[in-house]
Amino acid sequence: MEISPSASTAGVTERRGIPGASFVEDVETYLKQSGLDVNSSLGFLQERLQQYRVVEMKLLAQQRDLQAKIPDIEKCLDVVAMLEAKKTAGEVCLKKALITDFEVAEGIYSRSKVEDNDSVCLWLGANVMLEYSLEEAKSLLDKNLENAKASLEVLVGDLQFLRDQVTITQVTVARVYNWDVHQRRTKQAVKEPES
Amino acid sequence: MGPRRNEINTLDNTTLRSSPLFISSPVEFLLSPRRIVLKMQQGEGSETQVTWEDQQNINKFGRLNNRYHELEEEIKVAKEANENLEDASNELILSDEDVLRFQIGEVFAHVPSEEVESRLEKMKEDAAKELQRLEEEKESVLAQMAELKKILYGKFKDSINLEED
Repeated sequence: MEISPSASTAGVTERRGIPGASFVEDVETYLKQSGLDVNSSLGFLQERLQQYRVVEMKLLAQQRDLQAKIPDIEKCLDVVAMLEAKKTAGEVCLKKALITDFEVAEGIYSRSKVEDNDSVCLWLGANVMLEYSLEEAKSLLDKNLENAKASLEVLVGDLQFLRDQVTITQVTVARVYNWDVHQRRTKQAVKEPES
Repeated sequence: MGPRRNEINTLDNTTLRSSPLFISSPVEFLLSPRRIVLKMQQGEGSETQVTWEDQQNINKFGRLNNRYHELEEEIKVAKEANENLEDASNELILSDEDVLRFQIGEVFAHVPSEEVESRLEKMKEDAAKELQRLEEEKESVLAQMAELKKILYGKFKDSINLEED
C-alpha cells in the first residue's frame, strides 16, 4: 500500500464531511485573527479533537465490517468456481457427484450429495435468497467483491486524512500552549527587574 | 489573591512553580492510537517555528507508524497461515487416504488426494509470496520512518520525541 504524500494543502477545508484542520503558520497571527484568547482557542481545538475521535470510531467500525465481508465473498466465489469446474469436468473422477460435509450445528456435520446443476441460490440478506445461474452468480459475486474492495480503499483514504487532521490539531494545541507559556515567562522576566 | 511571583496558573488550575533556571511545559499527546508520544517541550524560551513542511513530515511519520503496526499484525496472520499450510501438507504425506475432505468456503468437499496435493501446493506458494510482499513493505516503511526521524530530530532536537513507549 502506498503511503501517498499528504494531498491536503493548507487549503483543503473538508473531505466527506470531515472538517479539515487549517494549518497555523504563526501562533500570534492565528490568535489575533480568530480574536480568541488562549483558553478559548485551546477549548475550541480540544472540541475539534473530540469530534475527530467520534468520526474515527465510526470509520474504524465500518472498516472492520468491510474487512470481514471480503473473505466471505471470496469463499462464496470459491464454491461457485468449484461447482462450475464440476459441471465442465471432462475427467471421469470429477464427473461423479460432489459429496460434501457441511455443518448442521456446532461439531455436527452432515454428508450430502450434490448433483450437477446449473444454478445456485445466493443469500442477499434481509431474509432474501435468490436463485441464479452459475454465470450470473459468479458475476454478481465478482461485482460485490469489487465494490467492497473499492469502498475499503476509500475508507482507508478517509482514515488517513482524518488522522492527519488530528495530528495537525494536536500540534497546534501544543504550539498555542507553548506560546502562552513563553508569553507569560517573558512578561515575568520584564516584571522582575522592576520590582 | 492572584498568583504570586514565580507561580504560573496552568489550564487545570494547578500551579507550576518556576525556577529562575528552567520552566518546562510539556504537552504530551498521542500521535497515533498506539504508543508514539509526540512531546513538544519548551526549552529555555527558544520557540522553534513549525512550518507547513514540518507538519507534513510529522503527518507522514504518523501515517507510516500506523501502517507499520498494521503490517506487524498482517505479518503475524500470514505467518500463521503459512505454518498451517505446512502442517496440512505434512499430514497429507503421512495419511494414505484416497479421498480427503477439503474445505471450500464453509463446506468440506470430498476431493481425491492428488487434487488436494496440487491445491495445497498452490496455496502454499501464494501464502509464501504474500508473506514476502508484506515483509518487503515493512522494510520500506521502516526505512522511510528512519529518514523522517533524522529530519525531524535535526530540526527540533529535544522538543520532539518520536519513540514508542
